[in-house]
Order: sequence, then C-alpha cells, then structure tokens
Amino acid sequence: MSTTLESQAAPTPDGAILTPTANRRKPRNRRLSVLAGQVALLAIILGSWQFLPEIPLLRSASHVFDPYFVSSPTRIGATIFNLATGSNNSVLIWPYMWQTVFASLIGTLVGLTLGALCGLILSNFAFLSDVMRPFIVAANATPRVALIPVVVIIFGLSLTTSIVIAVLVVFFVAFFNAYEGGTSIPPQILQNARLLGANNVRLLFRVRLQYALAWTITGLPLAVTFAIISVVTGEILTGYQGAGYLLSTAATTGNASLTFGVVFYLAVIGLLIVMGAEAVRRRVLHWWAR
Amino acid sequence: MAQATMQVQDRANQALVAMKDLSFSYADGQPVLDEINLRIEVGTIVGVVGPSGCGKSTLLSILAGIVQPTAGDVAWAPEQRTDRHPISMMFQGDTLLPWLTVKQNVGLHYRLVDRKRRPSPIEQRERVESLIRLAGLTGAEERYPYQLSGGMRRRTSFLAAVTPKPRTLLLDEPFSALDEPTRIAIHQDVHDVIKQQGITTLLITHDLAEAISLSDRVIVMTARPASVFKTFDIPFGSKRKMLELREDPEFLRLYGEIWEQLATQIQRSQQGLRK
Repeated sequence: MSTTLESQAAPTPDGAILTPTANRRKPRNRRLSVLAGQVALLAIILGSWQFLPEIPLLRSASHVFDPYFVSSPTRIGATIFNLATGSNNSVLIWPYMWQTVFASLIGTLVGLTLGALCGLILSNFAFLSDVMRPFIVAANATPRVALIPVVVIIFGLSLTTSIVIAVLVVFFVAFFNAYEGGTSIPPQILQNARLLGANNVRLLFRVRLQYALAWTITGLPLAVTFAIISVVTGEILTGYQGAGYLLSTAATTGNASLTFGVVFYLAVIGLLIVMGAEAVRRRVLHWWAR
Repeated sequence: MAQATMQVQDRANQALVAMKDLSFSYADGQPVLDEINLRIEVGTIVGVVGPSGCGKSTLLSILAGIVQPTAGDVAWAPEQRTDRHPISMMFQGDTLLPWLTVKQNVGLHYRLVDRKRRPSPIEQRERVESLIRLAGLTGAEERYPYQLSGGMRRRTSFLAAVTPKPRTLLLDEPFSALDEPTRIAIHQDVHDVIKQQGITTLLITHDLAEAISLSDRVIVMTARPASVFKTFDIPFGSKRKMLELREDPEFLRLYGEIWEQLATQIQRSQQGLRK
C-alpha cells in the first residue's frame, strides 16, 4: 500500500524535464505531427472497416464483419453522395434534415426562453423555489423520452410534436442554468446594488436577469445538442418525417448504408449548429472572462 | 465676521453620526462589539484599525444597515438636502458588474435608482466623466472589467460608490489585494476625490500606513469584543502627497506611536485565541 502511494506521489523527473523542452521545440512541427497522427488513425479505421470484411474467415465468424450489417466506407460514401443529389433513385436528404433541424432550433428557442424565465423567477423568490423544488427534481429525473407517446397523443403526428419533445428536454437545461446563475450572484454585489439604491424590481431586471441569462447562454451549445438528439429520437419512435424517419426506414429495410449516411449528415449538421451556438455564446458573453 | 467663522467651524465639528454604547453579539451570545462610542464629524475621514477578526467589518455592516445592533444606538444627523444619497460602501470583494463598461459601472447608481431620483442625462454624464478624470481612468471608459488591472477595478468600484454623492462613504478593506506602489497611487486619488467632494468617510483596514495616509483620525480598536481603545489625530490636512508622506518624520513617528498601541491589542487577541 505504502509503495503504491509513494509511486503515485513521486514526481516524474523525466516528464518534468522533457515536457517543457518538447513544448518549446517548434510548436508548428508538433501541430503537424498531431494532424498526421489523426489522419493516420482515420485511415486505419476506414481501412479496417473497408478491408477486414473482405477476409472470408472473419466474415463467416461474426456479423460485425458482414458488409450487409456494417456496410463499408465506399458504399456509405456513395449513399452520402446519392442522398445529397438524389441520383440513382435515392431520396433527397435535405427536406428530412430541414424538418429535424427546424424542430430542433424552434424547440431550443422556446425551451431556452421558458426555462430561463422560470429559472430567473424561482431564483428571485426563495419561498417559491422551496415550494417548487421537489416537483422540479422529480420532473428532471423523469426520462422525457418516455413522455413522447403522451406528446403524440396530444399533438398527433406533427411538427408540433417534434418541437414539444425538444422543448421538454431543453427547458430543464435552461432552467437549471438560469436558476444557478440567479442564485450564485456574490452577496456583495447584491448588497452593493441595494446600497446604491436598487429596489427588488430593479435588482431583478438590472442584476439578476443578466446573471441568469449569462448562465443560460453558457448552456446553449449543450441545449442545442440535446434538442437534436431528442427530436431524432422522437422521429424514430413516431416515424414522422425528419431524419429520424429515414433512420427507421433504413432499419426496417435492413439498409446499413442508408443508416450510416443519415448518421453522417446528422453529425455534420449537429456539429455546424453547435459551432454556431458556440459562436453566439462567445459573442453575447464576450465580457464573461473566466 | 468672527461669528460667521464660528458657525462654519461649528458645522465642521458637527457629528454626522454618533454611535452610543453600540454592541453586537451573535445569536449564540458571543459578543463581537462591546459598547462602542464613536463620533464621526462631517467631512472627516476616520480610519479604523484593530486586530484581525476584532469586529471592524461588523461595525461597517451596522452603519450600512446590513446588520442590526443588539444594543446601543446609532444617531445620524438629520439631512437637510434631499438630493444626497445616504450611504455608499466600497466592498473588499469585486462588485463591478461584468457586462457593463467602466463608464456604465461608475454610473451604476443611475441605472438602479428610481427614475424620480435620477438627475438629467446630461448631469449624469458630466458627473461620471468628471469622476473618471479625477481618478485617472481616462481612456479606459469603454473597457469591460475583465480588461482592467486590479488597480483600475478598484478605482472603478470606488467611483461607483462616490457617484451618488453619498453623505457617508464606508470603505471595507478596499485596497488590501493591491501591491504597494499601486495602493499608494490609489491612495492619492481616493484621498483627493473624497476631500474634493467633502464626503464623510469611515475606512476599515488592516494596513496602518493606509489608515494614517488617508485619515484625519485613526481609531485603534481593542481585541474582540471590540471597543474603542485609542484615538489619534492625523495632522496632514486635505492636500497631502502620499509619496512624500511616507518619508515624513511625523508620519513615521505617528506610525510608531500607533503601532505600539495596536500591537498590545494584537497580542491580546492572539492570547485570546490560544486560550
């Protein structure tokens, strides 16, 4: 036991000496090496995916090596191309993607607004927040995806259903962030504002609101990600338009290439949206230097 | 003529606030302040020093109305002018709002106070701009707090407290986080602004040199529970130069004399802790 502790606590003289010199030596070279490593790794992954299933022995050993189930990079590449252009009698992915993206963005907007508003109000009124706490904790612990059938019963198979599902998920992300922002204001800032003449209303609108909003917007990239996941999940479950519908079709027709193709587009568009959200966050919260 | 001078002097000697047998204990009965008797005259700067944890900050909180005393009372002179803000405080920690620029933070009072009590936008702008000039923040008006050095943040916080034309200004260890050269430079501007604006000020500090540099009177508190131990008049007037002050034999003599008294209380406080 003592030896383990010692070995853990012992400084690593090699690392301590080597790390700074390695960092000092030509950072551009290092960046290039990292990039080369990443390209190599990608090549290995795609290569194994493409060529391992061509070995008959492996192929007969497991479904994992059967292109019928896992497709292959070249087939997926062709599907991606066909989905984008509609060639080879393929469906066009764009209307489906648009459906999903639109529902996600509207859901994020509505969920974020409602969540931030509720978080702000509860952070300002301690009594209200004490009354509400167990209900909110319970609602948050409920898997919202499980509520999809209820949403479908109420709103039918429609765009509204997708949006409501996204709102259900985003609301809580925004709510907890806004609540945290509104309650974590340093007490000296509140005392200072009061001494400078602020009443409760001004304190809410001139100080607490900004903190709550800052924290809410910090959670924007996460909220958008959650919105896309929940909308796609809803579409898979309900079979209503959208990218999720294509995925469920691919599953029922046993089309692995289509599945991977749609996943590819979802990943790319998800990444773009998160980058956009990140840019918005950085622009709006330029003063939030931490 | 002689009578007029007398009157002016009377007004100058008038207490803005008088604390009488002011005491404070925690809910568990532990005493913090023990019968403090202290008068603060209009327009003076009073510096309070004492052992760490003796209750200096509690005293400020009582004056600010954040904490209620458990015994004794605080009597404020009646206010004749209606345009004056009763009290401002500069806290030890950062109170700047990070989404507002220096200019907006200095004018924070105007954003927070009732519309009726706000001066015209032109008066607001003139006040903020003149204060920024006085405190050497010219050129930094449009910067955000994260773009400021520690000294500039403190200057901004100080001005934010001065903007409402407070009758009383409370300074709670305001410059303790700054390095010595920055602190002395700030002392100069802070002292000049307070004297120019005629603000009655209570300064609480760990730093005896700071207390002597800024104050007209230095109060040494006893170890906890705190009461007034000794009072010293500081005769440097309202046009003092902080850098020269540090080598003034009178400053050094006062420092030694007050330190001797303060040391007895620090010792008592440490013995109290060891028990």
